[in-house]
Amino acid sequence: MTRAANGVHILPYARVVGQAELKLALQLNHIVPRIGGVLIAGPRGTAKSTLVRAFALMAHGELPVTLPINATDDRVLGGWDLDALIRGEARPQPGLLEEADGKGLLYVDEVNLLDDHLVNIILDVVSTGVLSVQREGLATAKHLSFGLVGTMNPEEGGLRPQLLDRFGLMVTAGQLDTDARRHMLRTVLDFEQELTKQESDWLAAAEKDDADVRERLTDARRRAPYLHVPDDVLRLCAAAAEQVDAVGQRGEIVAMLAARALAALEGADEVGPGHLRRVLPMALRHRRPETAHGAVFDWGPDDEAQVGELFGTV
Amino acid sequence: MATDGTPTEPEDLAARLTLALTCAAADPALSGVLLFDLDPRLIDPVARLFAGILGGGTPVMLGATSRDEDLWTRTRLHRERDGISFRTEPGPLVGEEGRGAPPPLVVVPDLTRLSVAGMRAAVQLVGADVAVVEHTGLSRTARPRGRWLAACPSAEAGRLSLHLLDRFAVRLSVAGLRPPLPDPEPAGRGAPSVPVTDEALDRVRTLLGGGTGVRRELALARLARAVAAVRGEPTATAAHCDAAARLMGLTVPEAPPPTAPADPSPAVPPPAPPKRIRPEPPRGRAGEAVPEREAAPSAQPLLDTGPAEPIGSAPGGTPAVLATPFPEDEAVVLRDFAPLRSPWQRTAGPASARGTVVGTRRAGNLRDLAYVRTVREAAVHQRLRRADRFTISPVDLHSHARAGAPERMLVLVLDHTCRDEDWDWQDALTPFLQWAYTERAAVQTIEVGSALAADELRADSFPARSVLDPRVLASLYRQAGRATPLAHGIEEAVRVLRRAFRQHGNGLTEAWVVVVTDGRGNVPLSVSHGGRTTDAVGAAGVTDALEAARRIAAMDRTRVHTAVVDPARAAYAHLPGQLADALGGLVIEGRGEPG
Repeated sequence: MTRAANGVHILPYARVVGQAELKLALQLNHIVPRIGGVLIAGPRGTAKSTLVRAFALMAHGELPVTLPINATDDRVLGGWDLDALIRGEARPQPGLLEEADGKGLLYVDEVNLLDDHLVNIILDVVSTGVLSVQREGLATAKHLSFGLVGTMNPEEGGLRPQLLDRFGLMVTAGQLDTDARRHMLRTVLDFEQELTKQESDWLAAAEKDDADVRERLTDARRRAPYLHVPDDVLRLCAAAAEQVDAVGQRGEIVAMLAARALAALEGADEVGPGHLRRVLPMALRHRRPETAHGAVFDWGPDDEAQVGELFGTV
Repeated sequence: MATDGTPTEPEDLAARLTLALTCAAADPALSGVLLFDLDPRLIDPVARLFAGILGGGTPVMLGATSRDEDLWTRTRLHRERDGISFRTEPGPLVGEEGRGAPPPLVVVPDLTRLSVAGMRAAVQLVGADVAVVEHTGLSRTARPRGRWLAACPSAEAGRLSLHLLDRFAVRLSVAGLRPPLPDPEPAGRGAPSVPVTDEALDRVRTLLGGGTGVRRELALARLARAVAAVRGEPTATAAHCDAAARLMGLTVPEAPPPTAPADPSPAVPPPAPPKRIRPEPPRGRAGEAVPEREAAPSAQPLLDTGPAEPIGSAPGGTPAVLATPFPEDEAVVLRDFAPLRSPWQRTAGPASARGTVVGTRRAGNLRDLAYVRTVREAAVHQRLRRADRFTISPVDLHSHARAGAPERMLVLVLDHTCRDEDWDWQDALTPFLQWAYTERAAVQTIEVGSALAADELRADSFPARSVLDPRVLASLYRQAGRATPLAHGIEEAVRVLRRAFRQHGNGLTEAWVVVVTDGRGNVPLSVSHGGRTTDAVGAAGVTDALEAARRIAAMDRTRVHTAVVDPARAAYAHLPGQLADALGGLVIEGRGEPG
């Protein structure tokens, strides 16, 4: 699992130190794909990209379909296989969006550096669910569905509100404390050391732990659609969204889906207020008015107090 | 080392440089080497040294004109008996994937002048676990094997993107490095198989201090491991961390760690003590505190240089040695607000081939050919041509159609609340509007305090292709509203400029920001962002506007010009001047007498 193709080695998911909220968001999105993806913002060197890749390797056994920031539109939308063309064969080459449809996820590293014309293409497809290509002798229209996972360092600029809203959940990567940092250093260096060995108990144990996580996620994914959501919890969700002035209704919907995923992950019989409260920051932090206009993504004590009042009355 | 065994600084520096390059060659996680204050004449010898350590190969040079089309894919033309054939292959940054081939070396002679495409490539490749290329028919996912050697003047480091600088694990100040450089010895490849002790990890933290980035800690630990491997030691200890720290020029506390084995540090000569004393306390990027570093010891330098002899108007003497390998932490200049921007450079005109590719068209010449489209076009006619092999005719040739990139831009910030019945600000704006017309500049109009604003607490903004867009004229005569979100308007101008410089790169050669206001902003930025009013506002609206204006002042002064048109209101008459100071621009009298 950890040894991907072409010499790519990613730290096993189960060995990534800290970043519990990031992990939880990715897991919830996996359990209920309708959540629509995860945006991870955070400072440099907080294992954002590593975590996404490690998760994909753990959950799917391969690296995620990745849209690099300098991709050309023929690779995004699809085109012709050039080598085949030269041989006189017309063989279409699927684009990244189509590949993402097959695998359910499109990963954009440094998503805030993505060129505008690519953002427009993605927004078109994600909002309509249709990829229509009428260019270079291609004439196709396909229904596509995939979740977006993006990582970004906010120091380098923000995202357009329309794109921001397309990420179901948003989490911020935090700095590790001293002990966790040391543990992380030890883990990374051990991992690199183990890679040089022919046989490694360390890697085998990590793969087993990854397999355990995968099993839990598979089980939760199977259970999630059948979990009951009480009306009280729905009302709480709507009130919380109103309390933080969430823009649009996508926030409430995603919050309920994520709460259901969390309940399934924890083996609960139905979705409770506690599940909802834990996922609210992820679902609403990027849908507040100040965030939509480019401010920070922090979910601070004020926000916590606002929704806390609601939950205190239950 | 000198022949008499006495270490002298230039040779020591060369030895440190060689060791640093050897470590970077040995460990792919140390793939980025950043040299501060390298004499430009030594770029080539150092690149050849590094290439030799890597095992040969020709370095790829990146600079101000490097484009995505040249970096990620490469088209090779071959002359053959019956015509020319071509193949599209992985470009210089991702090619040479053969198992036995040495890792490619990418050389950036001046990181501050690297093109946007080059910087973005560096962010994607340097020290990365995975590189994904999806470019003109090419799809590839692999671990980057290349090493990057970049040089940068330490005084300019603060202007670069921290996101970019953070990728360079091995840093070294090489001010005063002089040839000859030692002969290269090829290094081993792959992560060194040397365990790192727990005390070494503790030492890493001690050496770097609290609050430093995780990547730096990892880089120092890996460098210590590489140093131990190069020395043939079985484990990397705290002493190797000290050696790695000295190698990079970090200050190492005098007392050796109590449990350290034999100190290998003599093999790694310490750098000369810092000569540069910064007059101001260190400041972080966004005003955050930067962790204190121990003061460097004021020991005697290893070598006193002779009296400096200036050449021309430039000061003579050896450049000062850095006190830290992280000069960007202590930079007193503000970082550019488009750090991934291109360096300033005049372009050839509107035919510039730098805009983003948005399509293809029939080629009129052989510049900027779109190969995929050309081959597709040729494929259609193959059967008709009855050639025995794939043939491309001149009629098949297509070139890229690129997004029009304006070379000039006018950003108008119009504060409607400062205009009264007897003043037509169009007179004051006419010179700027004329300039925008004659230069075919793009226009961004930002309206503050309009009665028709969608939200009175926020500025409205729209882009126009030119000043002839009817919306621009209409925006000059809008009814004034009640609130003046000036700070939000100026912040919007910052955002627009930043986006323009990032998108158009060095195609955008000049931008004017013209602010018409009396400076009396009464909506703090937090209120504009949140859309909710607060009880006490005070002077926050004004101070926020000044703060935002300073960000514009920090931008590239050769390309961004600013002016404040002063409506000469009697009250708070000093505010327009203050705003102009913060913007670093001119004050233009909007009318003769105070209103």
